[in-house]
Amino acid sequence: MLKRRIIPCLDVRDGRVVKGVHFGGLRDAGDPVAAARLYDEQGADEICLLDITATAEGRATFVDVVRQVAAQIFCPLTVGGGVRRRSDVARLLDAGADKVAINSGAVINPALVEDVAARYGRQCIVAAVDVRRLPPRRAHPGSPAPAAPAPGEPTPDGPAPQPSEHDDAPVYEVVIQGGARGTGLEAVAWCETVVRLGAGEILLTSMDRDGTKRGYDLDITRTISRAVPVPVIASGGVGELAHLYEGLATGGGEADAALAASIFHFGLHTIPEAKRYLAGRGIPVRPSSP
Amino acid sequence: MPRQVVLLDAGLGNLGSVERALAQVGAAVLRTSDPEVVAAARTLVVPGQGAFGDHTDEIVAGPLGDAIRAAIARRVPFLGICLGMQLLFEGSDEAGGRRGLGILPGRARRFPEGMTEPPPPGYDGPSRPLKIPHVGWNDVSPEGEHYYFVHSYYVEAAEADHVRWTCTYGDVTFPAAVVHENIVGCQFHPEKSQRAGLRFLRAFLLGGWK
Repeated sequence: MLKRRIIPCLDVRDGRVVKGVHFGGLRDAGDPVAAARLYDEQGADEICLLDITATAEGRATFVDVVRQVAAQIFCPLTVGGGVRRRSDVARLLDAGADKVAINSGAVINPALVEDVAARYGRQCIVAAVDVRRLPPRRAHPGSPAPAAPAPGEPTPDGPAPQPSEHDDAPVYEVVIQGGARGTGLEAVAWCETVVRLGAGEILLTSMDRDGTKRGYDLDITRTISRAVPVPVIASGGVGELAHLYEGLATGGGEADAALAASIFHFGLHTIPEAKRYLAGRGIPVRPSSP
Repeated sequence: MPRQVVLLDAGLGNLGSVERALAQVGAAVLRTSDPEVVAAARTLVVPGQGAFGDHTDEIVAGPLGDAIRAAIARRVPFLGICLGMQLLFEGSDEAGGRRGLGILPGRARRFPEGMTEPPPPGYDGPSRPLKIPHVGWNDVSPEGEHYYFVHSYYVEAAEADHVRWTCTYGDVTFPAAVVHENIVGCQFHPEKSQRAGLRFLRAFLLGGWK
């Protein structure tokens, strides 16, 4: 049967892995090429490189990183960050990416997704969608994204916001530019739209959870996994192996793939450990090569 | 002397990773879109991503199609990858119905909508829907290894003898690898399948698939 994928993700700025990487056995821990090669050898199911550079020089460096990584690995490579035009997609595919993730560029110009999907095939276009949970009663997509407290956490105003009996489900807004801007787009509707336009996969990141090590936002992951006919990659918040399990499990996030960064980068866990853990809990995964 | 492999560059997707994987297992790769070079190949590999459409029509009906048929008729080792394998068959339901090279009997069909995965034991919630395309690592039978697949269409082979490995997605069991005389085809991407994929390519180059 088809296995759920485990995808280590490297954030790259100016040619270096950001936040640092602390593997044993790597001479230069900030080198994305060395890190990607190690993940490939460990049996990562796919590798993701995201460019978080803001400058033109950095962008050029990133394409070079993609080229070097692609030359070293024998698994699928997904890349993204700053993709605004067809020429950006072409440049990354030409450098050896198998799939290109488009985030803000898709919101600003939805026709871009249609154009590149028609030209290069849906299978290589990933819609990266960043979402933020709106507090109940203030769920008005369109207003600037409020600093939504994570569910279950106390807010300055009083108790944690809980969906009341009158609320069917929490509402999520799509945010862009690394969470700096709200868009007024409701998350599920946007995912459906971007799939209709031609995205072959959704990379769904919860901005509330990203970097918190508290686990994926399972509600929105499950909702979107069930709503769209294409695979969904869960992202944002993994701090331990149990979070990978939750994101993939039926009744949990139900995602097709689980993306994580720090638990792998910091040597907390290896890919084979993650696979063994998931297999032991009944998640279908491909065993890592010995 | 490394074995020379002609890699067909017909705009059917990125060739870089196929070229690199073949080199990794000892091939000297010659990329070409020249029908004469293709027809004269001593080993021919036709990779492919994406879809049947106007572009495959041109190949099938044009000089490149003739060149592929000529190479195969000369009994040189041939490998078709993904779309390159599907092209060997009579046609595809894709894009309103398209013709293939018609070298092997059978046709590419789309995975049906609405397939679901049985819920795990003890879970009484709704079944999890299966997505199209079939993307990711799946195991093949009887060999048992996992390979990386990306496709929305699968081949329905008319001759069971041609099917060497099968793979199952939802309700559909389809050929993962086909073999007939000098022809090998794989639905998965060996160039993206880490060690298992490289072993597969090495076996092809060494003639282990005849």
